[in-house]
Order: sequence, then structure tokens, then C-alpha cells
Amino acid sequence: MEPAVNQQYVPSDYLPILIQFLAALGFVVTTLIVTHLIGPKRKSAVKDAPWESGIESVGDARTPISYKYFMTAILFVLFDVEVIFMYPWAVNFRSFGLDGFLQMVLFMGLLLAGFFYVLKKGILKWD
Amino acid sequence: MTESLFYFLASLTLLCALMVVISRNPVHSVLFLIITFFTISGHYILLNAQFLAAVNIIVYAGAIMVLFLFVIMFLNMNKDSESRVKTSTLSKFAGTIAGGLLFVIMVAAVKDTTIAGYNADTFTSQTGMVETLGAVLFTQYLLPFELASVLFLVAMVGAVMLGKKEAGEQHF
Amino acid sequence: MTSIILLSIFGIINLFVGFMKSKRILLPLSLLFLAVVFGANLFSWNEAQSYFNHMLTIDNYAVAFTGIMVLATLLLLPFSQHYIEEANENLAEFYSLLLFSLVGAIMMVSYENMLMLFIGIEILSIAMYVLAGSDKRRLRSNEAALKYFLMGAFFTGVLLFGIVLIYGATGSFYLTDIAATAAVNDGTVNAMFTLGLLLLVIGISFKISAAPFHFWAPDVYEGTPTLFTSYMSTVVKIAGVAAFYKLMAAAFAASYAAWFPTLIAITVLTLVVGNIGAVVQTNFKRMLAYSSVSHAGYLLMALVAFNERSDASILFYSLSYALATIVAFAVLQYVSEQRNGDETYAAFNGLGKTNPLLAFAMTVAMCSLSGIPLTAGFFGKLFVFTAVVQDARLMWLVVVAVLMAAVGIYYYFKVVIAMYMQPAADAAKIRIGSFASFMLIFITVFTILLGIAPALVSDLL
Repeated sequence: MEPAVNQQYVPSDYLPILIQFLAALGFVVTTLIVTHLIGPKRKSAVKDAPWESGIESVGDARTPISYKYFMTAILFVLFDVEVIFMYPWAVNFRSFGLDGFLQMVLFMGLLLAGFFYVLKKGILKWD
Repeated sequence: MTESLFYFLASLTLLCALMVVISRNPVHSVLFLIITFFTISGHYILLNAQFLAAVNIIVYAGAIMVLFLFVIMFLNMNKDSESRVKTSTLSKFAGTIAGGLLFVIMVAAVKDTTIAGYNADTFTSQTGMVETLGAVLFTQYLLPFELASVLFLVAMVGAVMLGKKEAGEQHF
Repeated sequence: MTSIILLSIFGIINLFVGFMKSKRILLPLSLLFLAVVFGANLFSWNEAQSYFNHMLTIDNYAVAFTGIMVLATLLLLPFSQHYIEEANENLAEFYSLLLFSLVGAIMMVSYENMLMLFIGIEILSIAMYVLAGSDKRRLRSNEAALKYFLMGAFFTGVLLFGIVLIYGATGSFYLTDIAATAAVNDGTVNAMFTLGLLLLVIGISFKISAAPFHFWAPDVYEGTPTLFTSYMSTVVKIAGVAAFYKLMAAAFAASYAAWFPTLIAITVLTLVVGNIGAVVQTNFKRMLAYSSVSHAGYLLMALVAFNERSDASILFYSLSYALATIVAFAVLQYVSEQRNGDETYAAFNGLGKTNPLLAFAMTVAMCSLSGIPLTAGFFGKLFVFTAVVQDARLMWLVVVAVLMAAVGIYYYFKVVIAMYMQPAADAAKIRIGSFASFMLIFITVFTILLGIAPALVSDLL
């Protein structure tokens, strides 16, 4: 028994989400402004330091970072895009039948080959 | 209502896209780019293509922007390196003229074109839904979809090859 | 279709074979794979078939160009020997990327749908961006990769914009639908269609490095490792030109009047800029980059002629150009390795005495590139020119092209003069593997054979 749902989506269905979004944004903005208005303001070199009463900061925050973060991020993007393709497939899974399943297996197989390649290369190893 | 929303979104998109190019600080550029992606997702929703709107936010605003930020961190930009990058006046002129010409041609082309609009009898508001999209993607566009996996594979192998630490190389 | 499937599988196999200890098996294996693909491809000859809702059509045109591109890859791979000797860590990746990029190239010569064209270009280009930067420790290679990537990504955007505008005007990605819509609307549906067509022309012109979209070519060619420059200037260019012709013939034949003025301007500019630019170079590799620009011009001439001889002359010209270019880059690679990376003309001084084989192969290649009789290049130019003179109004274009070919002889023979007339600075003989020398002899003989009996290839299409 299929549940009875509204199959005719239109953009105005997003109105509740929009309202919620505005409410969340409004709360954040209001709080930020109000705290600025009602709080006392003190400014000095010590007060504005990144770590007030902590370790004194030295040098620049923009130091080179390990390439491993980047590799992980770029592989994440690739697999992210891959997973996106599965949504339109999954909602139609029943109507596609076995053919659709094999098509996705082929697609995933190629990418899994890539994944095993990445694993064997030791890119995700974090020594 | 929809029309005014469209104009609002469109002008916001254009403004933010312009700011991406104009901002001096690369991190500001990225932030403006994120807003641009959100407004483009808004356009998708107006077109009733909800899946694309979600994908656009997840992939572009979520994942690709992270990569952009990574690259900016890699570049190690600071005040001195920013001032060293100078565009010559000549290339500024050339860019303005070329871009302006393209703009004029585009405006002229769009003015000359009558957009066919839609046929009320065959129109269905559900074209952009994920079910319809999936049905088209996995039947009519099956081959490009499968070959896209080769594209991903090339990108993966390329990233590994260029990014991997070679034996004896010093990294952090 | 078989070639696409086979190449994808072979590429993955190659990747995993690369994890074995000995990398010596990779080259023979890749050559075997390419030979298999070359053979499998021939089975589709005269059996035109359309696949997956007309996404791809493998007809004789596609088979012929696929054959040439696979053959070119097959012929240039043996010159990767130095990577094996230095036990390069990324050898398997190099071969795999070349195999994968061939998938893209094949898509570009057999597409029926704009989407396939786009994905094909992307697969080919992304592999090339990576290979351009594969020599990670050399700054020039990094520069080449970044320049190629930024420019390439930008022009891919232009191409995509063109496709979108065409879609907006005609409502379809299929070449046949676009042609049908254009035919009933006098070739120009509306201004949006014309603009889309223009952007498409610009996008593809960049990929085949036609002037004025050639500015990336010299820097990228110079910085890229020579083996991949060779691939770039043969396979990538052939795929681009073949895709260009297919696009124009299958989708925009009715719009001839709309794109003809633009394309003829691009052609003349490419011929002039390529040849004049090559004259002033002192670096041989940069000269070859400009020369490849100029050859894009000759190939575009056949496209501009747009008659029944165009496809056959593009095919023959591509083959003759690929053969000569592979030899030129291979010899350059051996010479510059020996002379500490020197790529100027002076590096070739006295090569005729120390290495007669290399010098002879190079001489034949240069003759072929400049179009001297008894080489394949002569008939390549001849076929292109005869295709153009079918249209009497284009006589002046042939005159320009012949003048530019004369300029070409000047700079191609600079290196021949250096090899035979100049005293050798470094008398050491250049070491070259027996397989590589066999390949050089094979290509040279093939070039001369085509120069004597061009009918072997010219009557195919």
C-alpha cells in the first residue's frame, strides 16, 4: 500500500522552509547586534590579541599545510559527486529492475577500482 | 510574486558574482561565491528543479568550496605577495573591450530572440523532480552517465599522481 | 563502442599492474592493449551502427579516425623507454591516462549528441592537464600544467555556453535534430543560435590551438614532457579537428553561411601566425609548437572547403602529420636528453655524423612536415589544396597556404642544416634502444610509402 503523498511539488511548497530559514537567520543576526549594543566595549592591544591571556602568537597563520588534507578533500569531492548520482537511481530503483541495478554496479565498479587504486597507493594512510 | 522573486535573486546573483571577481581578499571571493551558489540554487527551486538545487548546495557550496579554501591556504598569500601582482593597463583595456563586446553581442542576441515559451497542454510541473531526472538519466543518457565514471577515474588517478609524495620528497 | 569498452578496462588493468615490482612489463602490455584495440576497431568497418539511443555512431569516419589515433599512440609509446630506465614511479599512471584519454578522443570522433562531445573533451583534456604537469620537479612542467588547465577550463566554459545556447535555440542536444531545426530556418534559427555557434567554434578552436586561440600552445608544449607533447600535438589535435568537422557536417551544414566567414578568418590567421611565429624561434620544441598551430591551419582549410573531399583529406593530412610529428618529438627527446636538456637548434649540430639514423628519420619527418614530394606530407597538402580549389572563390586561400608552406620549408630545414652542415659540439653518439630505432625506421618507411602510394589511405573515406 503506497502512502498517499502529494505528488505535485511546486516551488511554493518551500515557503515553510523559507520561513524557518529566515527565523534562524533572524535569531542569529538579532543576537549579534543586540549583544554589540548592550555590552560594554573595551579595546586595547592586549584585549584584541588572538589569544587573550594565552600563549603569545608568533608569525603568520598561513603556514603551508600537509598535502594529505588536500588529497582527502579532493577524493571526498569525487566520491561525493558519485553518491549524488545514486539518488535519482534509488528513487527509481523498483521501476529500473535488474538492468538498472547492473548499470549502477558497472558505474560503481569503475569507481571502486579507482578507490582500491587509491588505497593501494597509500594516499589515505596517515603515518 | 514569482517574477519579483526572480528579479531579486537574479540581481543578487549578479552582484555576488561580480564581487567574487572584484574582491581583493581571496577568502572574501570564496564567501561571495558561496552566496552565488545559494542564489543559483534559489533559481533552481523557482524552476521547480529541487534535486538540482540540493545537489548544487551539497557539491558546490559544500565540497568544492572547501577545496577552494584549501588552495587559498596552500598559496600562503599575505600582504607582500598581493601587492606584487599587477595587471598591466594594456591587458585591462583589452579585457574590458573584449568582455564589453561579448556583452553587447549577448544583449543583442537575446533581444533578437523570441523565446518560444511553453505549451500549456504538454507542460508538467514535475519535469525537474528527482524521479523524472533519474528516469531520463538511466535510460536516454545512460552512456554519458557510465562514461562519466571514466572521467572520475581520470580525475582520481591524476590527483593521486600529482599530489602523491615522491620517495625522498620533503613534506609537512 | 568495443574500443571504448576495451580501453577503459585496459586502463584499469594497467593501473593495477603498476603495483607489481617490475615495471618492465608495462610497456609491452600497453602496446599489446593498443594493438588489440586497433584490431577490434577495424571490425566495425563498413558496419555503421548507432549505440545507446543514438549517443554514439560508429561509422567509417569514426573507425578511420579512431584507427589513426590509436596507431599514433601505439607509435609514440615506445619512446617512453627513458621512463622505464629511470624506474619512474608513475609509469603505470602515464600509460593508463593515455589509454583513458583515448576513450575521450574516440568519443569526440563518434558522438551524435553534444553531451558526448563535452564529456569526451573533458576526459581528454583532464588527462592532458595532468600529463602536462607530470614532471613535478621541473618548474616549466608545473607552469605548463597550470596554464593549460586554467585556459582549458575557461574555454571549456565557452564551449559549454555555446552548447547551451544551441540547445536553447533548437531544443535538442542531438546533431541530427539541430541540423533539422536549422534546415527549416534558413540555417540560422535566431540570433541565439548564431551566437551559440560562434562560441562553439571558439571553444573547439582553442582545443586544436587555432589562432587567435593558440597563445597557450608554445608555453604548454615547451613545458610538457616531450612524450606527452607529442601526444598532445597529434592525438589531441586530430580528435579536435575530427570533432570539429563532424560537428559542422552533421549539425551545421545548413548554417554554412553563418560560420564560413568566422572560420575562414581563423584559418588564414592560423596559417600566418603559426608559420611566421615558427620562423623566429630558436628553441626547436617551441618551433614545433608553432608548427602544430600552422598545421591546424591546413587542417582547417579542408574544413572550410566543406565538400565531399574534406573528410578524406583531413584523414590523410592527420595521418601524415602525426607520423612526422612523432618522429620529430622522439628525436628531439633523445637529443635533448643527451645534451643536458638543450632543446635549441644547436643541440642538433653534427647529428648527421654521430647518429645517421636519427638524422635521416628527422630529415624525412621535416620533409614530410614541409610537404616535399615523396613524403606523406606532400600528398597531405595536395589533397587539402585540391579540396579547397573545388570552390574557385577560395583560390586566394590556396595561394596564401602555398606561400606559408614555403615559409615552413625555411624553418623546418634549419634543423636539417644544423644536423648535416654544422660541426658537432659534442661528438658522443646518442644511445638509443633497438626497439625505438626499429620504430623510427618503421615510421620513416611508412611516411615514404604514403608519399609514393597515397591511395593506401586517401581512398578510405
